[in-house]
Amino acid sequence: MTALEDPRLVRVLAPDGTLAPTPEAEQYLPLVEALTDTELESFYRDMVVIRGFDREATNLQRQGQLALWPPSFGQEAAQVGSAHAARPQDHLFPSYREHVVAHIRGVDVIDIIRVMRGLTHGGWNPADPRNGNTHIYTLVLGSQTLHAAGYAMGLVLDDRCGTGDAERDEAAIVYYGDGASSQGDVHEAMVFSASYRAPLVLFLQNNQWAISVPVQTQSPVPLVRRGDGYGMPSIQVDGNDVLASYAVTRRALDEARAGEGPRTIEALTYRMGAHTTSDDPTKYRGDDEEQWWAQRDPIERMRAFLAAKGASDAFFAEVDEASRDFAADVRARTLALPGPSREQIFANVYSEPHPLVDEQRRWLEEYESALEGDQA
Amino acid sequence: MSSQTFVLPDVGEGLTEAEIVSWRVGPGDVVAVNDVLVEIETAKSLVELPSPFAGVVGELLAGEGDTVDVGAAIITIVAEGTASGSAPTAPAEPAPEESGGAVLVGYGTGGHVQSRRKRPIERPVAASVGVVAKPPIRKLAKDLGVDLTDVVPSGPAGEVTRDDVMRHASQASVFRNIETPEWGQVREETIPVPAAPEPELPVAADGAREESIPVRGVRKAVASGMVQSAYSAPHVTVWTDVDASRTMELVKRLKSSPDFADIKVSPLLIMARAVIWAVRRTPMVNAAWIDGDAGANITVRHYVNLGIAAATPRGLLVPNIKDAQNLNMRELARALEKLTLTAREGKTTPADQQRGTITITNIGVFGMDAGTPIINPGEAGIVALGTIRQKPWVVDGEVRPRWVTTVAGSFDHRVVDGDGMSRFIADVASVLEEPALLLD
Amino acid sequence: MTETSTSMPFSRALNAGMRRAMRDSDRVLLMGEDIGRLGGVFRVTEGLQAEFGERRVLDTPLAESGIIGTAIGLTMTGFRPVCEIQFDGFVFPGFDQITTQLAKLTYRLEGTHSFPVVIRIPYGGHIGAVEHHQESPEAYFTHTPGLRVVSPSTPNDAYWMIQDAIASDDPVIFLEPKSRYWQKGEVDVTARALPLHASRIVRRGTDVTLVGHGAMVTTLLQAAALAESEGVSCEVVDLRSLSPVDYGPILDSVRRTGRMVYAQEAPGFTSLGSEVAATVMEKAFFALEAPVLRVSGFDTPFPPAKLEGLYLPDADRILEAVDRSLAY
Repeated sequence: MTALEDPRLVRVLAPDGTLAPTPEAEQYLPLVEALTDTELESFYRDMVVIRGFDREATNLQRQGQLALWPPSFGQEAAQVGSAHAARPQDHLFPSYREHVVAHIRGVDVIDIIRVMRGLTHGGWNPADPRNGNTHIYTLVLGSQTLHAAGYAMGLVLDDRCGTGDAERDEAAIVYYGDGASSQGDVHEAMVFSASYRAPLVLFLQNNQWAISVPVQTQSPVPLVRRGDGYGMPSIQVDGNDVLASYAVTRRALDEARAGEGPRTIEALTYRMGAHTTSDDPTKYRGDDEEQWWAQRDPIERMRAFLAAKGASDAFFAEVDEASRDFAADVRARTLALPGPSREQIFANVYSEPHPLVDEQRRWLEEYESALEGDQA
Repeated sequence: MSSQTFVLPDVGEGLTEAEIVSWRVGPGDVVAVNDVLVEIETAKSLVELPSPFAGVVGELLAGEGDTVDVGAAIITIVAEGTASGSAPTAPAEPAPEESGGAVLVGYGTGGHVQSRRKRPIERPVAASVGVVAKPPIRKLAKDLGVDLTDVVPSGPAGEVTRDDVMRHASQASVFRNIETPEWGQVREETIPVPAAPEPELPVAADGAREESIPVRGVRKAVASGMVQSAYSAPHVTVWTDVDASRTMELVKRLKSSPDFADIKVSPLLIMARAVIWAVRRTPMVNAAWIDGDAGANITVRHYVNLGIAAATPRGLLVPNIKDAQNLNMRELARALEKLTLTAREGKTTPADQQRGTITITNIGVFGMDAGTPIINPGEAGIVALGTIRQKPWVVDGEVRPRWVTTVAGSFDHRVVDGDGMSRFIADVASVLEEPALLLD
Repeated sequence: MTETSTSMPFSRALNAGMRRAMRDSDRVLLMGEDIGRLGGVFRVTEGLQAEFGERRVLDTPLAESGIIGTAIGLTMTGFRPVCEIQFDGFVFPGFDQITTQLAKLTYRLEGTHSFPVVIRIPYGGHIGAVEHHQESPEAYFTHTPGLRVVSPSTPNDAYWMIQDAIASDDPVIFLEPKSRYWQKGEVDVTARALPLHASRIVRRGTDVTLVGHGAMVTTLLQAAALAESEGVSCEVVDLRSLSPVDYGPILDSVRRTGRMVYAQEAPGFTSLGSEVAATVMEKAFFALEAPVLRVSGFDTPFPPAKLEGLYLPDADRILEAVDRSLAY
């Protein structure tokens, strides 16, 4: 596994929850110190609630309610920190494991459930303000990095960045993983965003595994070095440290939106669960490794940090209960989800009317109505 | 629901079965939602299944070591607050069945196929512009030299059928290769009639320029019969035109009737019934002039052996249907079909041709309206059915296209007098005009 | 360019059409390799960067997937990108972004966003080019739901169809017959003759219907002229839109002639011609005197240029099929 002791590494919170900034982290301390108690508590709450949700979703899959579930288990800090660092006007491009990010930006997690339940391919409308400019999941690995690069290029062409007004200037952040980082599209995204000086942060969650293939197969050297090669600042952060994750992303986004061009962040974290519910990690990795990472759990260290700061038992109990309630609500809503309708097959294939689609929609309608037991 | 059943889900995108490795609960245990119930092993991995229900474990429906299909029930859990002894109800599908009827996600790829197909509704084929004919029929038409645009289509979708082409070919072949010369400049032409030369006795065929066909067998017999008939019985022919539209309609309906699904139905069938009926009313046409030593007799027959003139590979034959008056419509149709088939195969026997009492000749197939048929030896009448085609007709004071035909008949005037033959032909024609008369 | 009908080469017509579209809307943006300063390897975009600037005409890095993928992102900020892929054989690095992303995003987003991207691709043979520079890859795209595919055959169609493709809210693969880039034709800039997805009977006849698109239309017309001298009257249909196909004029024609020959440069196995033939046989069954015949490139990779004359359907190959059709 990648050493967590690279001199470039930015970490503020040690695994035991004490404040122990690495040398590279010093420059980020002002951003960390500017966080209020409310913000810190919300970081913790978001991590706990979504971990509970994630576990519930896995159970639902095991009960036949979902076809598949890709867990975010273990990656909460990287996602919470970076999502909170983004400003409201920013545009976020997830891969398919960013349930935490989506939740924080306002996406209703039931929309993620709907995708995994086979009811829809998208789930939500990125242009709807309540979804916080969060794009839908992309299952073809790395494709979204080009979409994000193009979006950021559009911001440059329309002067929606680089004016110096951080409240108004926009940026984009795209999430991808260590496996996806080998895909050609990711490299082309770095080429294009560097060439056009686009306000894009490429956020790589290195969770050490691409299904059963360890990150060493993707690269013999730390992935953070790639950004250097494409001519952009590249930061490596302890992805299980929510404070450091927040700080590096905040600065990267603000620099990008100010017109300084793209940045890459490699967040070192661990995929505590399987790749998806179809996967069996016991076939390719050992307990030792999982135990090692369990001792660096993002939620545990934040809990220790908050406790040391004086957070009460009542607070922690309330968060746990909120997490349980959230999960129970998701369960109930999942079981109540209606099935899709036949029309959905033919809806929105094109934006403009299309004769072949219309013909086939009509055909299926007639065909189904002539059969017994109409399956609406 | 008092008792809920958990069926084995597909936990790995396309799995069809799993082995029960170890149960973590037993009957009577209290379980909460998400408590682990069992560990299973699939083709991909070991998986723990969490409980979808809260309550008391009722029954374990599979044993450790058993391989269970996806979709099979593995455990029942009784909801809290209900009697644990109550009988399990039908397996309760998790909610999507209630909410949308959609196939439950995660229940795998395999299983029992059920057809929802009902019997298909008859759907007419939309005819395109122009002649509607399937490729094989087009080829047939081309091979026979038939112009499809001239053929009257009779298919259910308005298409030209094989029969339509065949019928047209046999009618039309007569007219091929005949050119109509233009009127010339010369208004009159005088053709001298040379003095009759010494009658030239016919000589044997002159090699390649002539073909000599010996007169033997059927042709010889038929020829002598015709000569005998034509020059002994004074032939008188009467005819009438009639609107046979209702007959055409009846034929069409019979054709699509299940009772006649396997039998050939044509206007000839109706004509045959018409003749039999008309014979009852004018029995003299169903008679024969018999010359005897003690003078001549007219033998009137009170049965009908209905002869049908048939062009066969062996020549003109007239097999007859014995006691045709006893046959109902179906039986008569069958008999006609059999007679025709036998004749076409050249298998008509002498017995088939003997003792006929009246004959029908269908000259309509040759495109003729009417003719002066020669009476079959031993009979007194022969009826000719002409071609049935669309012609203008006056209906309710208006000229309309109707299916019109000519019914003609030649009669031995020694046996049948003028009003008899006229009445007979009129009767036959009225049946063609109104087939309901046969319901008598 | 005057306001009336004027004669110009195909590439000029494309240029004029794009220019007009860019003047009409500042959201229209061109992107591709060498399209700015150089004006494109076929000079189709000549002068456009000078008029509209580097922010509207982008010389991109050399990466087709990158071009298509960033174009997708650009639509999300409101642009209407027109991408140029330099040659048919180079579209494949971008094939994933075209088929898994561009074609499916509207569907995936349930109609909440459109992706009005035009991808211009010079295609086809007849220019003696090297490998990957003479192919006809339309079948990969016509087979992908969510994409529209069109191909103009004349300068007039080029002028109007590029504008209509840009105006379409759907992704459009715009196949330009590169062998026709320098052929001149009348362009009526005052009014479009046909909608984007209409096919057109370009020559009337009575005996056989010939169908094709793009560069093939000229070949079909040559074949028809030769056939005329032999006493066979051919009707020629220019497909114009490959997906969706406008079957109206084709079926009308076949119902009158009873025979059809489809000609295409692409390899025949599982080609667009196969689809059109099957549909015509189904919808005009009773009208057919002969089966629909296809004249296609052979099912081999496109051969070295010296052999393309044998490989590509020419008038003789088309007439051979016409003869076979008439023999039925």
